[in-house]
Amino acid sequence: MSDKNERIVLDVAYQPQVRTLTDTRRIMLDVIIALLPAVVVAAIQFGFHAIVVILSSIASAVFWEWLYRKIFKKEASIGDLSAVVTGLLLALTLPPTAPWWLPVIGTLFGITIVKQLYGGIGKNFLNPALAGRAFLLSSYAIIMANWGVPSGLKGVVDGTTMATPLASLYSWSMPAYFNYKTMFLGTIPGSIGEISTLALLIGGIYLIVRKVISWRIPVAYIGTVAVVTFLFAGRGFGHFEWMMYNLLSGGLFLGAFFMATDYATSPVTLNGQLLYGCGCGLLTVLIRYFGGFPEGVSYAILIMNLCTWAIDKAFHRHQFGGSKEDIAAEKAAKKAAKEAAK
Amino acid sequence: MTHTFKGGVHPNYMKAPQVPVSVVAPPAQVIIPMAQHIGAPCKPLVAKGDYVKMGQKVGENPAPVSAPVHASVSGTVVAVEPRPHPLGDMVMSVVIENDFQDTPCEDLAPLTEEQLKDPDAILERMREAGVVGMGGAMFPTAFKVRGGIGKVDKLIINGAECEPYLNGDHLTMLNFPEQLLKGIELVRIASGVEKAYYGIEVNKQDAIDLLNSLHPEKYGIEICPEAVKYPQGGEKMQIKAITGREVKPGGLPAGVGANVVSTRTCYAVYQACYEGKPVIERIVTVAGSALDGPHNALTRVGTPFGYLAEQCGGFVKTPKKIVLGGPMMGICATSFDAPTIKGTAGVLFFTEEEDRMVDDPHCIRCGKCITVCPMNLEPVFMYMYYSKGDYANLEKYHVNDCFECGSCSFNCPARMPLTHAFKTAKLMLQAKAAKEKAEAEAKAAKEAQK
Repeated sequence: MSDKNERIVLDVAYQPQVRTLTDTRRIMLDVIIALLPAVVVAAIQFGFHAIVVILSSIASAVFWEWLYRKIFKKEASIGDLSAVVTGLLLALTLPPTAPWWLPVIGTLFGITIVKQLYGGIGKNFLNPALAGRAFLLSSYAIIMANWGVPSGLKGVVDGTTMATPLASLYSWSMPAYFNYKTMFLGTIPGSIGEISTLALLIGGIYLIVRKVISWRIPVAYIGTVAVVTFLFAGRGFGHFEWMMYNLLSGGLFLGAFFMATDYATSPVTLNGQLLYGCGCGLLTVLIRYFGGFPEGVSYAILIMNLCTWAIDKAFHRHQFGGSKEDIAAEKAAKKAAKEAAK
Repeated sequence: MTHTFKGGVHPNYMKAPQVPVSVVAPPAQVIIPMAQHIGAPCKPLVAKGDYVKMGQKVGENPAPVSAPVHASVSGTVVAVEPRPHPLGDMVMSVVIENDFQDTPCEDLAPLTEEQLKDPDAILERMREAGVVGMGGAMFPTAFKVRGGIGKVDKLIINGAECEPYLNGDHLTMLNFPEQLLKGIELVRIASGVEKAYYGIEVNKQDAIDLLNSLHPEKYGIEICPEAVKYPQGGEKMQIKAITGREVKPGGLPAGVGANVVSTRTCYAVYQACYEGKPVIERIVTVAGSALDGPHNALTRVGTPFGYLAEQCGGFVKTPKKIVLGGPMMGICATSFDAPTIKGTAGVLFFTEEEDRMVDDPHCIRCGKCITVCPMNLEPVFMYMYYSKGDYANLEKYHVNDCFECGSCSFNCPARMPLTHAFKTAKLMLQAKAAKEKAEAEAKAAKEAQK
């Protein structure tokens, strides 16, 4: 044995000795990439101010995360980009007329109270972006319902603000400029990131292809909304027309692909994800039909967030090699043993 | 159509079957550990100063679950003492000073025509030649096959070689196809079944074509192409892929009528029966970023890792880890002086380059561990219960079903030490069960005294 080898200190690690390239940071980066089409549409429709709101939201989310970890002497965590995702998502749920300081307050609540107080990434039980939005909705109700006119409707609509397609839909009067095409492409009013179904669909498919999210939650969510709205159509609308308007207006696609699929707050069991998606869909429709707000996506997801733990517990996977007969036989044997003991 | 199972991962395979087999010159001293199998360790049959021939038996144990060990070179025994073992600890070993004559030992003669058709003769020879599971598990093959007689109707030969880096099975298929088929036939005869199913991943299409061109049906063998996915070569995954059966929790493969024998083991059976050669050498894939390229090295049992690295061109970077076997299930050796043994399919010298650990990992609850677990487990919850020391829930979540394939840890974006945790959890559960049993027995003894 050469002396050279004797001086080498060998490391011991438990298996596996190799790991996939994809890490937390890469996943968060993928989510940011997937949201870029929606950001581009927002810039086109709502102009420079929308970008200011988005940047202010991202910067404040990262700042709060950094500050909290610094004050409480925990290791820095802004490198995993999860705060960037939270800030970006929160901005996309705000109206385009929102002042720049609004997301700063929203991220303060979302990042510090909802996420960091429970231990940081992966430990929170509510979606931080949606919780931040809910906080703003109850604190600044008027600002939060101030829907700016998109550039695609300038000249068609007078004034600086207007009703969203969803609000129009539920007051039973859809103006002609709200149709499948404008709603799919995103030349409609709404919150910064929700208007273009096409842009969100591109991002969602990207996430599924990259295996960042599974198809289960978005498909179950959107599918449930489609089925329920098709079956229970509103006044004066055809079944299909009502269903399509419900799918294309509001925050359904943003919620289904980007909010409901948040790792920490959605089930990890495969069947649990399907149930969770269906629950989100059902609650969304119920809130839209009967609730006080026109939109139900955020509250539906927040309520289902709270059910995640129970759903995961309910869906225990089939044990490899464990057949139904075996389980029954085992139970019978235990019972017999108990009776014999008596 | 390819056979496969549910779950699994696609690691970077890093295979290099195009690198021809190189013969490693035997070292000046070989170290033959007495434990190169699962079961009772051997007792040395030789003493310091004895002269031994190549292939001579130097250790054995009459216990049923055991396999004798043989000298891999001829020469003089210079020590019979505990030496570093590749799997850690010091283990009684016979150290032989090589005389570089390779004088063969004639104890094992090739089997006769009749013997080659006699299951008992084949099983006896498997045992005498020290054949063990050379895929890495090192379970004595004769005991495994004998235990399956009458119960096993599906004999599966494992040619998946799903671990990254390793090429030994693939090269055996390409270089010795006829011998391999004959070896499989012997295992089939010994198992008392009509047909053997040979599962090979389709990344070895050249080997599949070659074997198929040699009429495997003549030997009672069917080649089953399999999807390329880790851990396709896991015993339970092979059985599931080829027969659709699931081995019962805590049960043996024979419980569902299946037995799995690895490619290299079948080749060893061929050598033992047709050539009278015990297990004293094998193809070891030597690779990793500390070397300048991969080597498929025909290596004698007992070759120290440091010497092996020198023979393969030496280090271009300082190694950080020595990994034995493939990188997914392989464990780390702690000494350059430890030797290769029968189950060493690979020796990987890794540097920081292969390392992707982080200091303080945080689970992000992505659930990627659940989708890849081939045993339908839920690692994310098992890890949580492990952190809390919650034994009851660990058992409820079937932590004992985990066979430590490493897929969950491999796929974890947060780099959680999942497999490590479950290994520890299983040991804790075992210790707890043993303690409870001892307490119950003590209590029963006390009551009996009254």
